[in-house]
Amino acid sequence: MKKSMLQWAGILVVFILVLTLCIEAKDTNEILEHRSDLITIDTLKSFDALERPKVVFLHDLHTEALEKSNKDCKTCHLSEKSSKDRLSLKFKRLKDTGKQEVMDIYHAECIGCHKEISASDQDAGPVEVCGECHKKDAGLISSNLPVAFDKSLHFRHTEANKDEKTNKGDCGLCHHEYDEKAKKLFYAKEKEGSCRYCHMKETEENRMSMRLASHSGCIDCHKKAADNKKKTGPIKCSGCHDPDMQQKIEKVKVVPRIERKQPDIVLIHANKQKTNKDDRISRMNPVPFDHKAHEGYNDTCLACHHASLDSCSKKCHTPTGSKEGKYVNLESAMHQKGNKKSCLGCHEINQRQPNCAACHSLNAENRMLETSCQICHMKPLLKNSPATTMDEKLMAEMLLKSKKAASGTYKDEDIPEKVIIKELAEEYEPVELPHRKIIKTLLNNIKDNTLAGYFHAEKGMVCQSCHHNSPLDTKPPRCGSCHSKPFDGRNIFRPGIKGAYHQQCIRCHQVLKLEKPKSTGCTDCHKDKKK
Amino acid sequence: MSISRRKFLGWMGAAGLSTAFGSPVHAAANKHFKGYPDSLGVLFDSMLCIGCRNCEAGCNKVNGLPPPDLPFDDLTVLSKKRRVNTRTFTVVNLYDHSEGIKNPLFRKIQCNHCLEPACASACFVRAFTKTKEGSVVYDPSVCVGCRYCMIACPFEIPTYEYDKVLTPRIRKCTMCHPRVIEGKLPGCVEICPNEALTFGKRKDLIKIARDRIRKYPDRYVDHIYGENEMGGTSWLYLSGVPFKELGMREDLGVTPAPELTAGSLSTVPMVAGLWPVLLTGLYAVSKRKEKIAKIEQHQAIASTLEKANAEAESKLSKALAKAQKEKDAAIKIEIKKALEEAKKTQEKEGS
Amino acid sequence: MSEKAAAASKSFFTPFNVVAGIIVIIGLILTALRFTGGLAAVTNLSDYNPWGIWIGFDLLVGVALAAGGYVTSAAVYLFGMKRYHSAVRAAILTGFLGYALVVLALHYDVGRPWRLPYPFIIQQGTTSVLFEVAACVALYLTVLFLEFSPAALEWLGMEKLRNLITKLTLVLTIFGVILSTLHQSSLGALFLIAPSKLHPLWYSPYLPVFFFVTSVIAGLSMVIFESTLSHRYFGDKMDEDHIREKDQIALGFGKAASYVLAGYFAIKVIGVSAGNHWHFLGTSYGLWFLVELFGFVALPCFLYAVGVRDKNLRLIRWTAVIAVLGIILNRFNVCLIAFNWHLPSSERYFPHWMEIGISVFVVTIGVILYRFIVTRMPILYEHPEYTDAH
Repeated sequence: MKKSMLQWAGILVVFILVLTLCIEAKDTNEILEHRSDLITIDTLKSFDALERPKVVFLHDLHTEALEKSNKDCKTCHLSEKSSKDRLSLKFKRLKDTGKQEVMDIYHAECIGCHKEISASDQDAGPVEVCGECHKKDAGLISSNLPVAFDKSLHFRHTEANKDEKTNKGDCGLCHHEYDEKAKKLFYAKEKEGSCRYCHMKETEENRMSMRLASHSGCIDCHKKAADNKKKTGPIKCSGCHDPDMQQKIEKVKVVPRIERKQPDIVLIHANKQKTNKDDRISRMNPVPFDHKAHEGYNDTCLACHHASLDSCSKKCHTPTGSKEGKYVNLESAMHQKGNKKSCLGCHEINQRQPNCAACHSLNAENRMLETSCQICHMKPLLKNSPATTMDEKLMAEMLLKSKKAASGTYKDEDIPEKVIIKELAEEYEPVELPHRKIIKTLLNNIKDNTLAGYFHAEKGMVCQSCHHNSPLDTKPPRCGSCHSKPFDGRNIFRPGIKGAYHQQCIRCHQVLKLEKPKSTGCTDCHKDKKK
Repeated sequence: MSISRRKFLGWMGAAGLSTAFGSPVHAAANKHFKGYPDSLGVLFDSMLCIGCRNCEAGCNKVNGLPPPDLPFDDLTVLSKKRRVNTRTFTVVNLYDHSEGIKNPLFRKIQCNHCLEPACASACFVRAFTKTKEGSVVYDPSVCVGCRYCMIACPFEIPTYEYDKVLTPRIRKCTMCHPRVIEGKLPGCVEICPNEALTFGKRKDLIKIARDRIRKYPDRYVDHIYGENEMGGTSWLYLSGVPFKELGMREDLGVTPAPELTAGSLSTVPMVAGLWPVLLTGLYAVSKRKEKIAKIEQHQAIASTLEKANAEAESKLSKALAKAQKEKDAAIKIEIKKALEEAKKTQEKEGS
Repeated sequence: MSEKAAAASKSFFTPFNVVAGIIVIIGLILTALRFTGGLAAVTNLSDYNPWGIWIGFDLLVGVALAAGGYVTSAAVYLFGMKRYHSAVRAAILTGFLGYALVVLALHYDVGRPWRLPYPFIIQQGTTSVLFEVAACVALYLTVLFLEFSPAALEWLGMEKLRNLITKLTLVLTIFGVILSTLHQSSLGALFLIAPSKLHPLWYSPYLPVFFFVTSVIAGLSMVIFESTLSHRYFGDKMDEDHIREKDQIALGFGKAASYVLAGYFAIKVIGVSAGNHWHFLGTSYGLWFLVELFGFVALPCFLYAVGVRDKNLRLIRWTAVIAVLGIILNRFNVCLIAFNWHLPSSERYFPHWMEIGISVFVVTIGVILYRFIVTRMPILYEHPEYTDAH
């Protein structure tokens, strides 16, 4: 009996100890290291479920170690068959032939190299214990950020590769097309587009994934230039992907336009291929579009031309939608809110900057006047002459020229300088609102904004920020005409007068981050009543 | 209790009685108390709250509460995590949120006035009442002071006057019930400058909240806190960040508190009804066992006794027979002797 | 007469009397503080923690440990286990005193104790589990009083009344079991209303069942524990029957407790699986839960079994102590330790020493009363004039 009791007690003690250890281990907060060169080796998962945790591999650590011992990339990466200079991105192999083979390659080559190095009394990676590489939690956090190849970088690459004599860039260094018949890459002049039009997220037949394409393309070229002792871009992971290093990438302030024979101005029609069958959309006036200006607003063509540089409506965003365009029809493609790729979506997102949001986040948010359509879909200039009969480009130019990009308002004398708000003067003195000053400030804030200029050209439009739901006139109705007692059951969505004033003033001041008056400082606006 | 009944009715329906009981089954299955019709409530919009503490001051004034330690215009207390207590029926706390424009965020804490209040269902003297106006009010004249309501409240709202000897009371927000029935607004709502508090019929408040979410999808989290939490509350909340970040519990579920204990309470009549039968039965069984054992014992004793008697009797008779024999033999011998003697005497006399 | 008085004064300052006296004096002072300064003066209760050890220990533990009364009387009178007869009176006395003290302790805890009858006479909050508890405890206290009264009546020599009440034994026992089933389980059901406050490992829709089953364990273990103590301190009061049956009782009740503990272990595990709360076992609360489950359920279950197999009475008696501690731990966990687990440690409750003082005071009163009754009334022996009655 005594023995069994002892056993029982022993089991209990061991159990508690193990649990305590587990909890202790969980409670400790390690400071995790951030690295931009984390590569997870989990190739085997394409064959079978993984038997051990995947390996977290620090690429830069290995590159640096090799550099020190005067070894190069070829220590680990083999040359591709197609070209000697092009290295395979895989480790010590060109293809993933089979589970056992790939595993053997990793084990033999990694451990072999580590052994070799440790034999010469240098620090080396793990040699024996599986768990040292196959760790569940390596205690590292990836700080790897995708790098944007923006206009500035594009320009610097063109400049760097200019022929000294002709002073012309060699676009074919990077841009190429694929010849299906000859199974070869070739350069097609003025057909250049974003890499992403062809190189997708995953590798497809005859098409590398974007990840592979950029790593082999960029690094090979940088490496070659570096070997020739030329100034060149990064080779290591951190050079492109480390957040701090990205900040250090040189930026060209004024980037010249990328020349690819793209138009300066376009007249965007819904009915280019007029079929008569469906004239529903063709009723809208075409939109004169300043392509050149928009190039300047965006960093890459991808901002709008997200899938190709072809016409949006031809195959994908047809007027009624098509499978290729995920059934996003032309109307949506141009007007979908919240989507940066559409015209309206991008303009709307622009409204979120404080100078716009001051008004647009309260009364004007998500509000569109019926007259707004015609600001883009302009009326043809010449009466009785359909747009199509004129030269499109000329007409677009004329239309654009006729457009005024200036926010208008009434003459100073029509705008009261001060407004006294007396409605709520119970506890405090009436509020003196610097009415004209507020309008001037709002106008001043959007003075340089062309987009705002087009939409606020009409006099009285800016007044709508506060005098919402009222006619465009110098004599808007009083606030109290609509807003009176709060919580009126017949108008449940309408705030009372006190709420209406405060919500409007406070929201605007919050958005514009005005330090004074503070939203909680009652006497900043309301003077204490004299007793 | 409602669950079991629902199930029971469900089974009846499944058993083919659905045609006969069709509509009542349906009605019972969908029975869920959604609050008194046209009951009132308040919608708190954290995106409109500016943290001015006017509501705290208003509440203090209309409820005649003692003055606070720090004046209401001292906004530094906001960043402390305060709770309601016997001297404060409502507090506004500041919750830091890292995402630019939505920072800082405030939340007002007070009684949520549940549609089916936990406190009312927990009170064993019915000191709490859910009024048809929507507020949950407390009657100190019957309160015993057991504080089970404080255990039951998922929002940790009721507070207790621990320092009072003879008249300790539960203290909590009443949604200004006395003012509301006079047609006035609750103190906090009336004073709020920014209409961050909207007072009205609960069903309208839900419409207003939905409208705000629809109009400003980027600004609000698509959830009205209190619409279904703990079966629904009269006080509703809108927020720009997950409610958890405003210190509100998102794990309360939608079951009204009374339902949590209803199942257990429903077993009371069953126990009271069945236990006597069961226990008397057990007693009878054990009694009967005893009885049978006794009878068997008696029988055993009787039979052994009988046996013993019989044996004794046979022994006796044997002994008697033997004795008789011996007696007979002795008599014979005696007779013989006597005869012989007589003969002898005759012979003597004859000679 | 004078001799007796001299003997009494001589033995007045026994260690027991001195300690008990001090505790009672302190208790009375604390009582005065409680009823002049309010709860705030003597407790650490707060708005987050409305219930302290006066509920967690005095009510929950008190009621559980007083379960010996209904367990023993049910075993003897209902299930016909006559061989345990000598334990009944002691168990019922313990139960009666236990419940009486629970009610006494509640007078300290509730804000306005003079209103304790309100739920019955003013307004009935029938939707409240607490109402069920209150009603059952009040009724059961009456039942226990009646069940106990024969002993007192024998002592007082009121034969007729005593005989009348003994005739009610069966009815009272059945009534007692019903009431105990109801309120022992409802004490667990009290916490059903707060799933958001009680740690998921302890919260379960089966809480009422857990509380009822543990009350059986507590009842059985308390009878063993208390008969051990009685034998040690009041051995001279015991008659032959008691001394002869004492070991029988320990073996029989130990065996029963072992079975019930095994069943309880099983339903506890089922409770965790039903809620799928396994992942909590890796946390510190999980460790604590395992300590309770293995150290105070599985261990006493095993030790009882071993003790009964080997007829090792010493082991059984020590196991009874572990089991009783386990019940105390369980009630503390549900009411205090795992309750409000989501609160930061600064808001958590720890009893004030004066709260503990009152609890000790209440327990001491119980011991004194027990001693008073046992040394005077026929509890541990049969009254020579009433031996026929059972």
